[in-house]
Parts: sequence; C-alpha cells; structure tokens
Amino acid sequence: MTRKLRCNAIALGVAVALALTGCSGSDKPADSSADSKGLEKTTIKVGALPVPDAVSLYLANEKGFFKEEGLTVNPVIITGGAAALPQIESGALDISMTNYVSTFLAVSTGKKIKLIADCYQAGPNTFNIMVPGDSPLKTVADLKGKTVLVNNLHNISTLAVATQLKVAGLKETDVKFAEKPLPEMGAAIKSGQGEAGLLTEPFITATQSASGFRKLADTMTGQMENFPIAGWMATEEWSSKYPKTLAAFQRAISKAQQLASSDRKQIETMLPKYTKIDAKTASVITLGTYPSELNADRLQKVADLMLEYGYLKGAIDVKSVIAAPSSS
Amino acid sequence: MAGARLLRGAVGAAGFLVLGEVVIRFGLQGLGTPPPSVILYEAARMPADPDFLAGVGATLTNWALGLLIATAVAVPLGVLLGALAPLERAIRPVLEFMRPIPSVAIIPLAILLIPADELMKVSVIVYASIWPILINTLYGMHDVDPQAKESLRSFGFGDLAVLARVSLPSAAPFVATGIRIAAGVALVLAVSAELIAGGVAGIGVYVNVAGSGNRMDLMLAATFWAGIIGVIANVVLLAGERRLFHWHRVRTGVAES
Repeated sequence: MTRKLRCNAIALGVAVALALTGCSGSDKPADSSADSKGLEKTTIKVGALPVPDAVSLYLANEKGFFKEEGLTVNPVIITGGAAALPQIESGALDISMTNYVSTFLAVSTGKKIKLIADCYQAGPNTFNIMVPGDSPLKTVADLKGKTVLVNNLHNISTLAVATQLKVAGLKETDVKFAEKPLPEMGAAIKSGQGEAGLLTEPFITATQSASGFRKLADTMTGQMENFPIAGWMATEEWSSKYPKTLAAFQRAISKAQQLASSDRKQIETMLPKYTKIDAKTASVITLGTYPSELNADRLQKVADLMLEYGYLKGAIDVKSVIAAPSSS
Repeated sequence: MAGARLLRGAVGAAGFLVLGEVVIRFGLQGLGTPPPSVILYEAARMPADPDFLAGVGATLTNWALGLLIATAVAVPLGVLLGALAPLERAIRPVLEFMRPIPSVAIIPLAILLIPADELMKVSVIVYASIWPILINTLYGMHDVDPQAKESLRSFGFGDLAVLARVSLPSAAPFVATGIRIAAGVALVLAVSAELIAGGVAGIGVYVNVAGSGNRMDLMLAATFWAGIIGVIANVVLLAGERRLFHWHRVRTGVAES
C-alpha cells in the first residue's frame, strides 16, 4: 500500500519534472522568433480606459497588427490617465493611455514621461455642457454662480468649460466645479447636486434620449476646436530601454488609427467587445477623430492653452515630451 | 422554527425589493436609476457572461490568497504577542495606530510601490485582513482560563505544553471569528482595489467597464453579486465555526443567532 503510494508519488514527480522541462523547452522557439524581430520586449501590458477613445488598441489586437510586429499586447483596464501614471512609473504597465492635460500637468511637476502615439482628438459635440430639458439656463453666461459637474477637477473638463466661460465674458472662478463620475452625473444634476455637467459619449446620447437633457454648449469649439484629447504614454526610461518595442507599438497603433478614422463601422463592431456600449448605442454616438501621427504642433496648442488659463506655471515645449517614431 | 425564520427573512427581502421598485418606478423616474427588477434580471443573466465570470474568478483568487496569507501571518504573531506580555505592550501602540487607518486609502500608495498588479491587490487585502485576525487572536490568548494553565503547570508541564494543550485550543474560536470578520473586509478590499486601480479582470473592473459604458444596471447587478458572495462566505465560515467549536458556544453561552 505505502509502496504503491510512493511509486505514484515518484511517477507524479517525474511527470511534473517532464512537464516543467517541456514547458521551458516550448518557450525557446517563442523567444527566438521574437529575437528575429529584434524586439527587446515582446509581451507588454497596455493600460486603456473602456471608452471609444481607446478603440485602436483593441483593433490592432483583433486585426493582428501587433502580431505582425512580433508584439503580444495585453490590455489592462485603467481608471484614468492620472491614475495610470503611478502604474507606468512602478512598471505595472508598460504603456498607458493618458489625456494630454494630465500629461502636461505631470510633466510640469517633473515627471519623466514621453508621449509615444496619438489616440483621440475631439470632434464637434463630443464634450458638451448638458442641462436638464426644463433648466432655466439658456446660455453659458447663465452659469455664473452655478455648480458645474465634471469628472475630474483641474483637468480637461474644467479647461473646456473655462474656454466657453471666457467667450461669455466670465472666468473659471465665476462658477463652482464639483467632481462626479460620468455614470452618475445625469442623476446628480437631476437631484440638484449641480445645475450643469460636462458630459462625453455615451453619456451625452444617453442623457438626451433617456432623461431629456439638452446641450447648453459644445466646448470643442473656438479655442478648443479639434482639440487633442488622448494619447499613449510611457516613461522616459521605458522609451529609451525598449526603442524597438516602442517603434513596433507605434507602427501597429498608427495602422489601427488609420483604420478607425477611415471606417466607422470598424469602431462600431469593436465597441461592444471591450466596452459595455451595445451595438445600437455604438451606431448613434458622436465620435471624435483618430489621428495616426503624433504631431507636436497640434499638441503644442494644448500646452499653450493650459498656460493661458493658468493650468501651467511655465511654458512646455511639447517636442521634448514626444518620443518620435524611430526611423528603423 | 428555522423554516419560520427563513420565511420571515424572505418576506422582509421581498418587501424591501417591492418598496424599491415602487419608489424608483414612480418617484425617481428619469434619474437613470434602474429598478430592482431590472438589476435582478441582469444579475440572473450574469453567470452566462464570460467577462463577469473571469472577473469573479480573479477577485476570488486574490481574496482567498490574501486571506490565507493574512491568516498565516496574523495567527502566529497573535499567539506570540499573546504569550509574551512585555512584547505585546511594546508593540500594542503601533498596532493601535495602524489598525484604524482606512485600508482603501493605502491603495494609491500600494500602486506606486508594488509593480505587479495582482501582488499589489493581494498585499492590500493582506494588510486589511491582518488586523481583525491579529486582534481576535490576542483577545483569545488573553481569555485563556488561568486556572487551567496553572493546574497544568502544577503537574509539571512546560510552557510549550501549556500553549499547545490549553492556550491554543482556547483561543481557536476567537481566531476563527477573526478570520470570518477578515473575510468580509478582504472582499471589500479586493473589489475596492479593482475599482481604484483597474486591472485585467475582477468584479471591480467589471463595474468600471459597465460604468464607462453607461450601464448602471450592470454596475449594480455586479455589486449585487459581490454582496451575495460576501453572504455566502460568511455563512460557510460561520457553519464551519459552529461545527468545529460547538463546545465553545456551549461554554460561553453565545445565543444561537
């Protein structure tokens, strides 16, 4: 009995040992195929918000654009660009989505981060100040002394509202801002926690159709027309340590961005797969654009506007924050 | 007896749901708040959603791992401190300071310090679950009947024998209670860490994704499941405690609840 047990144990041990050596053996071909592409790192973790902005990451995965580059990309859900910053700093993520306002705020405090690819640019009616249908507010000037709900204080939403206030002859300090997550914003306005809110998709469409909200202003006009919203970032250290991996990521993402910007259907079929936006909503929501090139001049507009509205203490030369695609 | 209690509980729960349904359908309409019937419908469909199942798997893995490590650390530490009074007096102020720190508040710090996502989450769970187990173990060690210890000593048994034969069995029910309380805390932290840090899968990650897609119904249905899992864990651990330490309930006269 005990002898049989011992035999079994030995057999099991041998099997485990074989399985282990088998595993390490099968790892080798994978490594060498990666070597042939010359990438320093073939498997990377990339943080993204579950929103339409990030569609190119999922498109590049599904269409095999990363695979063609010898890259395995594991998407990780993040909770915001500012929240993802410590995650790329600690190494939990290799690359993450970020919004440009958060990025330049971080750069101004000395964070060593690089923008490596563009992600999303605002289009008309993608960042709207919304009010209930029966609200007495008719124009942006009426917001004086009122509370405007935003998903993040001192960030892109407040900046967007500030540019509209300026047109109406008001300052950022003429309204009160309060932070509220986007999913709860509509209900919070209805229950009187604020008079208006800065909403993005799919919440603009949802509050319009379900709660009868109306648009008070489209903030992506005037100074913020075609405003660059989101990009992909990595730490300076990561960018210089893995230049080929970085270049491979840039090529694949750029290809996916081109696909997204040329074919809305691709976005609509992709959205229900990585977000909880259903196919019907995906077909009606307003989308921005998906630039395939990280253009310093366009991004400089963000930094300059932040300086003008006091979000930055000093000017930032955006060129120095960009890790340009290498020619290799 | 048990049947009547179950019936009263069911009636209470049903009444609560009906009240919620009425209030939301007729009072809060237009707020975008889904009524309980919609939430329960989505919750019932969720076990067929592979994303959600992967999420539950990830959350429960972190939860179990965190609870296991916390138990492995806190029980020996509690026994040691409980057995060595001077050591306990020296460490107690530190314990009393660290215990009330809201564990959720250390998540951002953990994100910055611990590069591996799963390790970060497990560490936070361990941190939060250690305190209830440690404190309960300490109480258990203090509660040991001094007469039993003395009589064993008078028969010539050494310290280790007293520990093994009297102190540990006597403290065990307290330890079990500590683990049960920690299980609830650990689940809260497992989901909170996912809500704050995101991740590949998890109940909290699922709630985040549902929220970003304006699916309040799915957010609440996933939250409902988190509650159900918490209840199940508590019931299972409580049943285990009752079986293992029936004599303790008899001795201390804890009423059946």
